[in-house]
Amino acid sequence: MTYFRQLVMSRELLFNLVSREVKGQYRRTVLGQLWSLINPLATMLVYSVVFGLIFRAGPPPGDPSGLDIYALWLMSGLLVWTFFARVVNQGLDSLVANANLIQKVYFPRMHLVLATMLSTAMTWCFELGVLIVALHLFGGFPLPWLPLLLVYMVLLALFATGVSMLLAIFNVHFRDTKHFVTILLQLWMYLTPILYPIQLVENAVGNKPWLLTIYRLNPMEHFVQAFRDLLYNNRLPTLGDSLWCLGAALVAFLIGYAVFSRSEKRLAELL
Amino acid sequence: MTEPAVIVDHVSKKFRLYHERNQSLKSALMRRRTTVHEDFWAVRDVSFEVPAGKTFGLLGRNGSGKSTLLKMLARIYTPDEGSITARGRVASLLEVGSGFHPELSGRENIFLNGAILGLSRKEVKARYDEIVEFSGVEQFIDQPIKNYSSGMYVRLGFSVAINVRPDILVVDEVLAVGDGAFRAKSEQKFRELTESGCTVIVVSHSLTQMRDLCHTVAWMEHGRVREIGDAQTVTDAYEKSLKTEG
Repeated sequence: MTYFRQLVMSRELLFNLVSREVKGQYRRTVLGQLWSLINPLATMLVYSVVFGLIFRAGPPPGDPSGLDIYALWLMSGLLVWTFFARVVNQGLDSLVANANLIQKVYFPRMHLVLATMLSTAMTWCFELGVLIVALHLFGGFPLPWLPLLLVYMVLLALFATGVSMLLAIFNVHFRDTKHFVTILLQLWMYLTPILYPIQLVENAVGNKPWLLTIYRLNPMEHFVQAFRDLLYNNRLPTLGDSLWCLGAALVAFLIGYAVFSRSEKRLAELL
Repeated sequence: MTEPAVIVDHVSKKFRLYHERNQSLKSALMRRRTTVHEDFWAVRDVSFEVPAGKTFGLLGRNGSGKSTLLKMLARIYTPDEGSITARGRVASLLEVGSGFHPELSGRENIFLNGAILGLSRKEVKARYDEIVEFSGVEQFIDQPIKNYSSGMYVRLGFSVAINVRPDILVVDEVLAVGDGAFRAKSEQKFRELTESGCTVIVVSHSLTQMRDLCHTVAWMEHGRVREIGDAQTVTDAYEKSLKTEG
């Protein structure tokens, strides 16, 4: 029986693991699910003051949407990043955190990473929904782009899951991975045009355009641009960005899947 | 003549003993290419068959390889050599309450634990009343299980596990849970299970239980099978060796 068939056959376990994560997360908090909204709002406030007011990052107005609000522009990109970072951070820890379960029961281990991704995706959809409503209130019109947005959400999820599966295996072998990735993600975020527009980078590189080419090798740059085009600018993402997203999603997921399914048999003894 | 439900064919499992097992990148780099380890064969060339519907016991001292073998039967470990063939659904009961989430209620945990043990939602629903009744925690079923006493916790875990009703059940010492009354109840339930045609492979240190429950017993020593045969004979031989070899 192939590994993929095993995964499909035990899908009910996946749903149960997801609901364990979702239900367990905000138990015993007064505000419950609202916390998943308060966190991004607080981040938005901090970044808007620092980068919007003090540093004057000044992104160009949305074309053709005409929106010109830093906070909304920021969130259209930041949400892409927070999803990626959360899936990678929690997914890479999911095997070590569930070591006890892995050593006592057999089930396809990939469900642990997939469950982290899906439970993150559920709170994320909620946040995206609020952003979409806010974009409409302030004059944008992302509604017609929602079906296409869904496609890019799937691509982003594949990309994040692939990276997460690969790192989860690394983390079983070397527990340093977790700490290393925390730092790496921080650097990575600042190297992605989330808080500032890419035009600032274009100006900064001056007569060394190859620097910009290197900067744009980052798949997250293309994901952020594509989501911003759909949500903030209300236009079709460029072909280049779309191909990058598709390519990065497939490559990351296939590598992650292959490495994970090959290593999974020995996980119980390695943990 | 019944078909064997489980065939264990020349199975071996080795573990690597590292002299400095330090799971960090630094030590991996410092070690250079020569890793310092020894192979330790926890299970060495073990073969046996378990006929369908029979109960098979594994005896042996600590470190004789029983649990490693059991984990291979439960598919948690994969053998390094040889193969294990099982006909039918295998469920393992190496621990009660695997995957219980302390903040979730007893009810939610029954569904979660059932799914982990391989039951579909429909199956759990169908057995739900039986599980709750058997565990005797009806009154607290909607409370988060972190408020349960340890006895209630294991009783709930055991009730889910015993209701999985697989074709082949792999059990490790879990019959010894709860107080006297619950233990009697669970032994009764366990007997019903074996009588209903479930194949059981069990590890236990209780020799009385072994004689009582098992048809065939294998005595393991240093990763190999020392003796295999009728439960009474092998258990007696093992008991004698415990006395003489100290």
